Amino acid sequence: MSEHTTPATTRPSDRKRYKRIAYGLLGAGILALWIGIATDRFVLGVLLYWAGGLGMGLVQRFSPVDLYDERDTTIERKASLTTMNVFAYLFILGAPGGLALQESGTVELPDEFYGAMWTLFAVSVVFGASLLYYKYRT
Amino acid sequence: MRNDISERRAETGESQADLAAAVGVTRQTINAIERERYDPSLELAFGLADHFDCRIEDLFDPTEEDR
Repeated sequence: MSEHTTPATTRPSDRKRYKRIAYGLLGAGILALWIGIATDRFVLGVLLYWAGGLGMGLVQRFSPVDLYDERDTTIERKASLTTMNVFAYLFILGAPGGLALQESGTVELPDEFYGAMWTLFAVSVVFGASLLYYKYRT
Repeated sequence: MRNDISERRAETGESQADLAAAVGVTRQTINAIERERYDPSLELAFGLADHFDCRIEDLFDPTEEDR
């Protein structure tokens, strides 16, 4: 039965340490971006921000321990689903509702409304594509 | 899902952190399983059963709601 055993090499202290490094790199990147904006060195700030984000991704990908366990993944999945549901309702109800209000002359929709609706549409398309991909893979 | 992990852990004198390290998850995950707020994956359930040297059905007792 030992082939079913979850790897026992991940010590909590290691996981915490690597998580701190990963989030520390991202935090340093964000700080560098703020400083870059404040000191009018925007390009340098963005480069350092990207470096921080990339560093975080590399630590998460290549750290010798798993930074997240199955419960973390389940929580993230549930949070993603809730987020998608919230934005799906915003899109499904908001797009026609906003247009109806505009047509009836109740409100004058700003350009940002159309930008937001196109963004939600793009997110829905990506979600649908991901869903199909995993449906046919699983 | 109802389980007796905390009782078995008490028998062996292990802390949640000890058990978590042994099966490769976080202490919070063990805590959530013991409080019946999280159902482990099949892989983790096998890992826990291996750890306590018993069968999965000895550890977990699904209620009608779980089925």
